[in-house]
Amino acid sequence: MSLIGIEGRDQQTICALSTPPGHGGLAVIRVSGSQAYNKVHQLASFLPKLPESHRVYYGHLKSMDSSRNLDEVLVTYFQSGRSFTGEEVVEISCHGSPVVARSVLEELVRTGCRLADRGEFTFRAFMAGRLDLVQAESILSLIESKSEASAQQSLRQLGGDLSKKLLAIENDLIWCLAHIEASIDFSTEGLEVVSNQELKEKFTAVQIQLQKLTESYQTGRLLRDGLNLVLLGEPNVGKSSLLNCLVGEDRAIVTEIAGTTRDTVEASFLLNGVRVSVTDTAGLRETQDRVESLGIERSLRAAKESDHIFYIFDSAEPLLKTDLLRIGEIQPHKLSLIGNKRDKVPAAQISSLKDLVGTQLQTLKNFQNEPDFSTWLQGQVHFVSALDEDCSLVLKKALSSKIEMEDFGDEALISQARHFENLTKALENMRRSQDLLLENVSPELLAMEMKDSLLCLQETLGQRFDDQIMDRVFKEFCIGK
Amino acid sequence: MHFDFDVIVVGAGHAGIEACLATSRLGLKTLVVTTNIERIGYMSCNPSIGGLAKGHMVREIDVLGGQMGLAADATCIQFKRLNATKGPAVRGSRVQNDKQLYSDFMQATLRQQKNLSLKEAEVKRLILDGDLCCGVVLDDGSEIRSKVVVITAGTFMNGVMHVGLEQTPGGRVGDKASVGLSDQLRDFGFTVRRLKTGTPARLLKSSIDWSKTEPQPGDERFYPFSFRSPSTYQLPQVDCYLSRTNERTHEIIRANLDKSPMYCGLIEGTGPRYCPSIEDKVVRFADRTGHQTFLEPEGLNTDLIYLQGISTSLPQDIQQQFLETISGLENVKVARYGYAVEYDFIEPTQIWHRLETRPIRKLFLAGQINGTSGYEEAAAQGFIAGVNAAHSLLGREEFILGRDEAYAGVLIDDLVTKGTREPYRMFTSRAEHRLILREDNTLDRLYAQAEKLGLQSETTLGQVQALKMRRNILREKLKSERITPKVETLAILKEIPSPVLTKSLSFEEFLRRTEIRSLDLLRFGFEIDQDPNVNEAVEIEVKYEGYIRRQMDLIASAKKSEDLLLPTDLDYKLIRGLSNEEIEKLFRVKPRTLGQAQRISGVNPSATQAIMIHLKAHGKSNESRNRQYTNFLEN
Repeated sequence: MSLIGIEGRDQQTICALSTPPGHGGLAVIRVSGSQAYNKVHQLASFLPKLPESHRVYYGHLKSMDSSRNLDEVLVTYFQSGRSFTGEEVVEISCHGSPVVARSVLEELVRTGCRLADRGEFTFRAFMAGRLDLVQAESILSLIESKSEASAQQSLRQLGGDLSKKLLAIENDLIWCLAHIEASIDFSTEGLEVVSNQELKEKFTAVQIQLQKLTESYQTGRLLRDGLNLVLLGEPNVGKSSLLNCLVGEDRAIVTEIAGTTRDTVEASFLLNGVRVSVTDTAGLRETQDRVESLGIERSLRAAKESDHIFYIFDSAEPLLKTDLLRIGEIQPHKLSLIGNKRDKVPAAQISSLKDLVGTQLQTLKNFQNEPDFSTWLQGQVHFVSALDEDCSLVLKKALSSKIEMEDFGDEALISQARHFENLTKALENMRRSQDLLLENVSPELLAMEMKDSLLCLQETLGQRFDDQIMDRVFKEFCIGK
Repeated sequence: MHFDFDVIVVGAGHAGIEACLATSRLGLKTLVVTTNIERIGYMSCNPSIGGLAKGHMVREIDVLGGQMGLAADATCIQFKRLNATKGPAVRGSRVQNDKQLYSDFMQATLRQQKNLSLKEAEVKRLILDGDLCCGVVLDDGSEIRSKVVVITAGTFMNGVMHVGLEQTPGGRVGDKASVGLSDQLRDFGFTVRRLKTGTPARLLKSSIDWSKTEPQPGDERFYPFSFRSPSTYQLPQVDCYLSRTNERTHEIIRANLDKSPMYCGLIEGTGPRYCPSIEDKVVRFADRTGHQTFLEPEGLNTDLIYLQGISTSLPQDIQQQFLETISGLENVKVARYGYAVEYDFIEPTQIWHRLETRPIRKLFLAGQINGTSGYEEAAAQGFIAGVNAAHSLLGREEFILGRDEAYAGVLIDDLVTKGTREPYRMFTSRAEHRLILREDNTLDRLYAQAEKLGLQSETTLGQVQALKMRRNILREKLKSERITPKVETLAILKEIPSPVLTKSLSFEEFLRRTEIRSLDLLRFGFEIDQDPNVNEAVEIEVKYEGYIRRQMDLIASAKKSEDLLLPTDLDYKLIRGLSNEEIEKLFRVKPRTLGQAQRISGVNPSATQAIMIHLKAHGKSNESRNRQYTNFLEN
């Protein structure tokens, strides 16, 4: 792990750009460590000797030798113990140009600061006990959140909503365990221990809460990561036109020549607060000899990596043999079929076209197992024309069921894979506990299952020591946050 | 320098006995100093040994070569297996003892022990040479020099007895307190605190109307603590009796709380929450209309009855009043009223796992002086302290039991890691590896250690080996022989009843069926070893194999931090990310391993993370054990 291993490393004062690199209105450089103010002071003579915490100072930043004017800046001072990292922190807001930011950082390094490692600010905050693990992860999410709903979700986790919820569950579990342990260790002392019925009720309550949280993962993940949509189809069926139609800008180059899109094109748009990223794969035309194998392979991979697929075909040439081969590899629930260029077909024929597609699909194994085929056909097969005004509306409607999120209101959701894994395990343990309770097994076995469940919860809360978790958490962090 | 003895053990209670027997049996010239030779191994409180988690410890030290199990078996007048209907890990053996015979047994054992001398005197203070302990000074001013001292002073250090508002110095009725020792330790820099414990009244058997109580007979089947004891009862068996307090009892107590030393602030020591006085019960559980009490005979030839569950320090006339409200006790005559004892103990975070103190070398502490309660907790510590005191003179490794090896290991690790603010009692729930710390597998867990210690005779070790061998043979036989769905088989299954058999199974798989007991296998033509020491243990291993394996996995995963030894001179101030509170606690406890550091209360997981990172950064993780040994042996 790069964060550790060098003597005195944690004592050094570190600096980094805290805003995304590139042009923007503003760039914020953060400096943290016992010498933070001292170092910045060497570049900013306008600062007082004894600054006030949480106060902003305005002035011009100069190079170490005072020969150059770096930028006009705002400097905020946070005294040690009252900052994000727990250490003395100075934040410099300068103009958002990479050149300015770089020269400020260079000068800071010249004063003896070290460039921060990936995640090092948060690491220090965690070490200083300013954050619990859940909160540390939330910061990562907040910084990387790509939509407003997601940012709000991160804020809620940061505020400890999720921690609070988990603590409440933990509390219930500990309550049950306490009663079970008492029934073991004080069995001869005539205690009024809790009845199996009461335990059962509590178990159920805990399970419901855990279940709700694990179920919120789908929504939480959508909020955090958004939805990945892949456009698949034969060359020149108009995938790129549909992409532009969805995104609302000329993101992909559209020409009449088949195979224009050589690489995958990515674009994204917001739909009901969820960020949808669209990948337009290069047309699936292949050289004669490898037509089927490669095409299928690629659609397989696309299907695996995406949340949803728009399979696009030419309305005038409904489902070719190659189309069917590819579609046969995709799970129906991840698929919408979009017949493009509907203007090439008389309007009256559209509904019989749909029936035709339906008949074709029913020859496929994966669709024969689909329990509610006609509903699927109704909801997921659309005929559009990229030239129509309502095209984007129809396409987005096809997606809306995918991003339909359960309404968790203001409640905390889980959005981290680690939380999901742990809570799923906790839930499984609770289910086994319930079975054991019903089977009337000896209480120490029951207690063992419950303790496992408790450990999973505590691991999520970062209350349990496990260096693997730490490695995983801090690896995800981006520099200077 | 001239030494009169190798080892001096101060006190001859349950801890002192095990300590002095261990040192003298390991060949060291040992002196026991006690204020009252007649009260060697005296049961100051309840006339009973064992119970949940406590019975486990008796078995553990028995396997290693301790004495308590033998004495308890020989003087047992009632045996009960507690939690008999629950799983094997939480069953516990408990015996009622003839208190006088128990004490006699121990006195005789000590008198007959080679290398061991007894002396009746009070120890006033220790002879110290800097931070090295080299003997004791007695109340007559004489000095006795020794290479090691083990203190097992029980409740005697600055002991004060309370009955109502009256206070008398003393550690037990009829025995005076020892004054001086704890002051000397305090002056040396030890943190010394007060604890409180209580004992109920002793009643005269002849004054009780037994028809109004409910007899509580013991078990027919005896499972002795010691595998060296005969497996049959050696004395006639008696019943205990159950009665209850009622609203009238509680009213009297409530009306007189101002005369209770606990409630008017006279007692500063903390009492045990798990063993509250009747005053506590009435106040804290005000909505309960009655509390059970067991009437336990103190022996076969005595008229004394111990009133379990009703410890009190109310004035004698109030005790008499409320006792008379209890069913069966309407005309009760009290032989001795209940009282509370307050005493000094040494905050146990000041001792190492080997029970030697940190500030003073060659001084070992065991028993209630370390803040524990209970005869078994005391005996376990006495044994470990004795062994380590001996090892420190013999140049042998320190003897430390792991938390995954024995309750005795859990006990000591808890004490030296977390300290205690109330008298510490062992519970099964304190052991995170409870499923493998069972009574039935004590031999398996500790045989190797016993062999290494050398306190058991060759013959005994041979017997244990033979027993283990028979268990292995049975296990193998269960694996290799099969039961097939023949007509006779199915008929017996129906009779039991147990589900039909559709295909042939190994007997091991078959025994996993909940309703099938090992002796049932005889009916299916399987020849089984009929010794319960063999078949019961094997049955448990088979039936709970899945759980046992999971527990083993947990132990393996904890091993990483349990094996990471911390240097004794680790400077926690240099570690980034530790709070002042954590630094202070880590300095105080000086954990042996990262695992122990994690168990210190108030030390957060992020702190253990920080320690590990620091160690990685400074490459200092594995010198500690050597250093600890060296320190230990250099002493």
